[in-house]
Amino acid sequence: MKSMKKMAIFGISSLLALSLAACSGNNKDATSDPKDSDEEITLDFWTFGATGYEELAKEYEKENTNIKIKVKSSETADHHDALFTALSAGSGAPDIAMLEIDQFDRFKVAQDRFENLYDLGANDVKDQYLDWKWKSGENTEGDFLFGLPTDIGPKALYYRTDLFEEAGLPTDPEEVATLINSPEEFEKAGLQVKEKTGKPFVDSIEMAFRAYLDAAGTAYLTPDNELNLGADSEVKKAYDYAVRLNDLGIVGKFEMWSPEWANAVNNGEFAAELGAGWLKGWMEGNAPDAAGKWNVATLPTEFAANWGGSYIAVPKETKHAQAAYDFIEWLVSPENQLKSFQSHGLFPSAQSVYDMDEFKSNADEFFGGQATAPVFAEAAQDIAGIPYKGEKYFPIHNEILNALKNVQNEGADPEKEWEAAVKRAQDLLNR
Amino acid sequence: MNSISKKATIFKRKKYRSEEKKDMISGYLYIAPFFIIFTLIGLYPALFSIFLAFQKWNGLSPMTFNGLANFQTVLTDPLFWKSVYNTIIMGILGTAPQLVVGLVLAYLLNMAFLKFKSFFRVTIFMPYLTSMVAVALIFSVLFSNHESSLANFVLTNFFGLDPIAWKASEWGTKIAISIMVFWRWVGYNTIIYLAGIQSIPNDLYEAATVDGANKFQQLFYITIPMLKPFIILTVFTSTVGAMQLFSEPTVFLGRDAFTRDEAMTIVMYLYRDAFRLQSFGTASATAIILLVIITVFAVFNLKLTQGFGRKKRGGADE
Repeated sequence: MKSMKKMAIFGISSLLALSLAACSGNNKDATSDPKDSDEEITLDFWTFGATGYEELAKEYEKENTNIKIKVKSSETADHHDALFTALSAGSGAPDIAMLEIDQFDRFKVAQDRFENLYDLGANDVKDQYLDWKWKSGENTEGDFLFGLPTDIGPKALYYRTDLFEEAGLPTDPEEVATLINSPEEFEKAGLQVKEKTGKPFVDSIEMAFRAYLDAAGTAYLTPDNELNLGADSEVKKAYDYAVRLNDLGIVGKFEMWSPEWANAVNNGEFAAELGAGWLKGWMEGNAPDAAGKWNVATLPTEFAANWGGSYIAVPKETKHAQAAYDFIEWLVSPENQLKSFQSHGLFPSAQSVYDMDEFKSNADEFFGGQATAPVFAEAAQDIAGIPYKGEKYFPIHNEILNALKNVQNEGADPEKEWEAAVKRAQDLLNR
Repeated sequence: MNSISKKATIFKRKKYRSEEKKDMISGYLYIAPFFIIFTLIGLYPALFSIFLAFQKWNGLSPMTFNGLANFQTVLTDPLFWKSVYNTIIMGILGTAPQLVVGLVLAYLLNMAFLKFKSFFRVTIFMPYLTSMVAVALIFSVLFSNHESSLANFVLTNFFGLDPIAWKASEWGTKIAISIMVFWRWVGYNTIIYLAGIQSIPNDLYEAATVDGANKFQQLFYITIPMLKPFIILTVFTSTVGAMQLFSEPTVFLGRDAFTRDEAMTIVMYLYRDAFRLQSFGTASATAIILLVIITVFAVFNLKLTQGFGRKKRGGADE
């Protein structure tokens, strides 16, 4: 009957209307400063890992009563995949999203899907942050800013004082840093540990490889996305160094994050870890038996590097770009970076924090009372820059790593493995 | 006839027609939810995937048409062929023993003298009800690379063999994953066979006993031929399942899942292209190639099972 027909037409047309509404709706209210208006604004904020941003968001809500912030935290890979899918589909992205530095280049190809933070006032806070960290948040031309800096991961030398002592090496952080001041000295110390204690120096071949790799000015790709793996490339140098350390017998087989590795950290089955600042938090929580046995010293400048850290960006889908920006500017301000550092160990990227007393005097019980923060702060300021990584950084990294593992585990010929890995990398790039 | 009655009949017919229309519309409305959902999450992605197979796309930048290049990339990639090989080997190792053992178990479960039947039935079916991810995690601990893992402990202490790197060796990985697949699915197939065996009329066995056939002859000439439709069903579902093997190896290998090639299946290869390499074009091309492979296997299966049933029946007639 007629009513039935009407219903069908109504049903179909409302479906269509809904889907159309979902496609459009990108109009923004960039009219006035949201702080002054009474308009209720809800901001979706996606984070990953343990950041403690939930508490800071609550603090912000108290100060700005018209703003509600919904923080959704997920696991690192899930977070980035979900964000990627949402951006690709053009709907479903949050107002604010955290981006991990190694995943960042995967998103930088889609500049049109992010707000340029320079347009929202980011120029005013530029000087607060470490230069190399800030630059990595820009596009290659330097006129577009994707995200504001959150934490960084300056690398330092974590070493077992008991094994160092047994090997006849100094145990005081200052003395260790003075003695191990070059890759050659690093190698020598490794041999000494191996000889006296019978234990490997570095935990795994990946860490031996990362020693030079993380510190290099160039990574696997040139900014034009061509392979940069020639015989005199920096990656090859890092590869050769890892092979060399392995030949000397000072590289262990404890793959990071494996249960065996966790055991080895706990029981002191290797002597040194080239770890970033965030490893400290992991050790405190997961290696109870090693309390008081690890110390931290600065690495030789050749190995000064950053590993990890994040940015906070504003996807273009948001309707409240200015409000979102104002919040993140507040969230990563030096004062709040100090709070994030104290509560969750996020190492600050704002250099003024390094001079704050609360930061410097933070003695770590786990490290036998050593104040480790200044060591990492020094390391952070030694970093020259972050190389261009490209969206296929990890797949290529894994290919090279496979080559190294074959060398270590099966005694394969390093040159042949290298060539095969480069070939596979080229194949990945062609996709 | 006067005009009034004429009008009445026309009106009646009209009404009848609209009544039919009404039924038709309500019928369509009843089935609409399925078709709407299917179109959105089944048909549309499938068609889009076919379209994508001819494009180069990283998910964010604009697409560019590149003809058959994606297929060429995939088909000339040694890793793709390695993944096809892995899938087939793990398919055979994981499913073939399953079907044989399932049949034997079903036969034993159906034996008249067996006590605690329902206990055994539930026990055998239980693994199927477990969470796949939990199973894979537990197996990844049992079969760890470490010399002291349970699997290596058994190997070295009970059999005097060398420990195996279960996650890093060509055959170790495949065997570990196949055992996991076997463990989880054998109960499922057993229950299907058991239902099949119970549907075979008893008089056939009685007649055979009268004719002097022993238990083995009964198994080969009555039970198996009568189970033919059930065997076809399980072979079919197992084959398709084996071709789509993904979660088990992915969870089992964890961090190494997409970097090592020992257990990379076709679907993992596809996933890696799409979500690790941001190469949705080659991933879609792989999906289409997988579709072709599954079709070929399905036809092959059908022919094989048909042939085997006929032969047996012919044998029984003699």
